[in-house]
Amino acid sequence: MFSNLFVFRGRVAPMVELSVGIAAAFLVVAAWEAAARSGIIAPQFLPSPTRVVAALWTMLTEQNLVWHVAVSTARVWIAFLLAAAMAIPIGIMMSSYRIIGAALEPMIDFIRYLPVPALVPLSIIWFGVGEETKVFLLWLGTFFQLVLLVADDMRRVPQEFVEVARTVGANSRQVMTDVALRWMGPTLIDNLRITLGWCWTYLIIAEIVAADSGIGYVIWTARRFVKTPEVMAGVVVIGLIGLVTDQLLRLLHRRLFRYL
Amino acid sequence: MSAYVQFADTAKSFGPVEVVRKTNLGLERNSLVVFLGPSGCGKTTLMRMVGGLDEPTSGSILLGGEKVVRPDRRRGMVFQSYSSFPWLTVERNIAFGMRYRNDITSAQKSERTRHYLDLFGLADFAASYPNRISGGMRQRVAIARTLAAGSDVLLMDEPFGALDALTRERLQVELRLIQIREEKTVIFVTHDVEEAVFLADRIILFSRRPASVVADIDVAAELGPQRPLEIRETQKFFELRNKVLHLIRNETGTAV
Ligand SMILES: Nc1ncnc2c1ncn2[C@@H]1O[C@H](COP(=O)(O)OP(=O)(O)OP(=O)(O)O)[C@@H](O)[C@H]1O
Ligand SMILES: [Mg+2]
Repeated sequence: MFSNLFVFRGRVAPMVELSVGIAAAFLVVAAWEAAARSGIIAPQFLPSPTRVVAALWTMLTEQNLVWHVAVSTARVWIAFLLAAAMAIPIGIMMSSYRIIGAALEPMIDFIRYLPVPALVPLSIIWFGVGEETKVFLLWLGTFFQLVLLVADDMRRVPQEFVEVARTVGANSRQVMTDVALRWMGPTLIDNLRITLGWCWTYLIIAEIVAADSGIGYVIWTARRFVKTPEVMAGVVVIGLIGLVTDQLLRLLHRRLFRYL
Repeated sequence: MSAYVQFADTAKSFGPVEVVRKTNLGLERNSLVVFLGPSGCGKTTLMRMVGGLDEPTSGSILLGGEKVVRPDRRRGMVFQSYSSFPWLTVERNIAFGMRYRNDITSAQKSERTRHYLDLFGLADFAASYPNRISGGMRQRVAIARTLAAGSDVLLMDEPFGALDALTRERLQVELRLIQIREEKTVIFVTHDVEEAVFLADRIILFSRRPASVVADIDVAAELGPQRPLEIRETQKFFELRNKVLHLIRNETGTAV
């Protein structure tokens, strides 16, 4: 009966996919609950899911969690949009004009390999502990990666497409907007989705080191008082935000690129 | 009798590699010329130079007496692959050929699009995206787009290479009919001798790299301009095909 669910690269009905996803997550949570209740592991280390949910509720109602989440989300999006707004044109220019690529590539490649946490002290010296530091760190972590991804996509636009456009009379700008950008669209959205995920990683680092607000700050403060349920609740919130954003961007992808 | 497309002392090298040896060759207007030659000999390069996509190292190419310097609408390319834009519907792919034309109104543009949709039997698929239609239809879209653009020279680089035998045969017949009806000049590159003889008014056989003309076969003189499918079963067709095959074998055999 189940054999048709295990066909190599076979298709599974969307409803089945969704149910299986939910059921698997539920199983993990159930196992976690059972492990926590059995008392094998001390609750300071592994509080039960019910306690995490209870903590989440208190944080929402009494500790302004929504505001902290909003602050974090704003930081992520400001830095991310800034990085994208710079990376997309620069990446495209790098691949369109060899001379620009030659000038920028070595530098970008160098900076790309610098671990963001290593730059935290420098960033605090430069910008203090205000919002600039956080935005700068997030931007640092995404811009240099994204610019190379964009440059790569631009390079991969099939030459035939460019030439077809030129033979029907398109000028350089038209080739760019009507062919190159259209071709890049799907991978561009994918790359944005992936780099947005990285932003959250860097955000937590930034908020742990230098912040008095945001979800990273909430988690770090809870840790100091060994409030494990709160720590876990904070982590769960990040996971949920990630899940929702990712699904929304996937939906957007499907909507925009129906032809795929 | 002056040629429409004229190679004038045209030669091309990529760095130290000589790809096209100094060539003089004139192609008639409203005729279908097939370029035949061993793989890697420089056929694509010759065609790209006509299209203005590659520049001759020395000499030039003239179109109607005018030197080719850059690509433009008068010469349309049809490639073997990647020829239709995946993000546009069949209809809009065809209309893309006219996208940058200011000399006709948008009403005329839609009318022409209609015309080519019907001509190529694509009307039912007007709203489909290329990945939902067959390879044969995709090539039709590419050819229709080039015609819609108003190109009077079609540069076709192994356009039917990836198609199955039956589809290929149909498109060959269609291409020939349309070429005559719409009075186009076609340069067609292929490896397939049958295809070459069936389609061509004239076959130019090139040597191994660096390409130079080794034979110039007047097919139209033997087979006439009309090419119904049955022509493939005639004695004349066989003889011609064998003659071309021998020429090719000699060429690929001797040039070591
Ligand atoms: N941009 C380029 N740079 C360097 N060498 C090139 C370039 N384009 C083509 N060549 C070389 O020129 C030669 C001829 O290439 P071309 O594509 O014109 O041959 P072809 O006759 O079309 O071959 P095929 O029948 O396999 O399509 C090949 O040896 C190829 O490697
Ligand atoms: Mg070729």
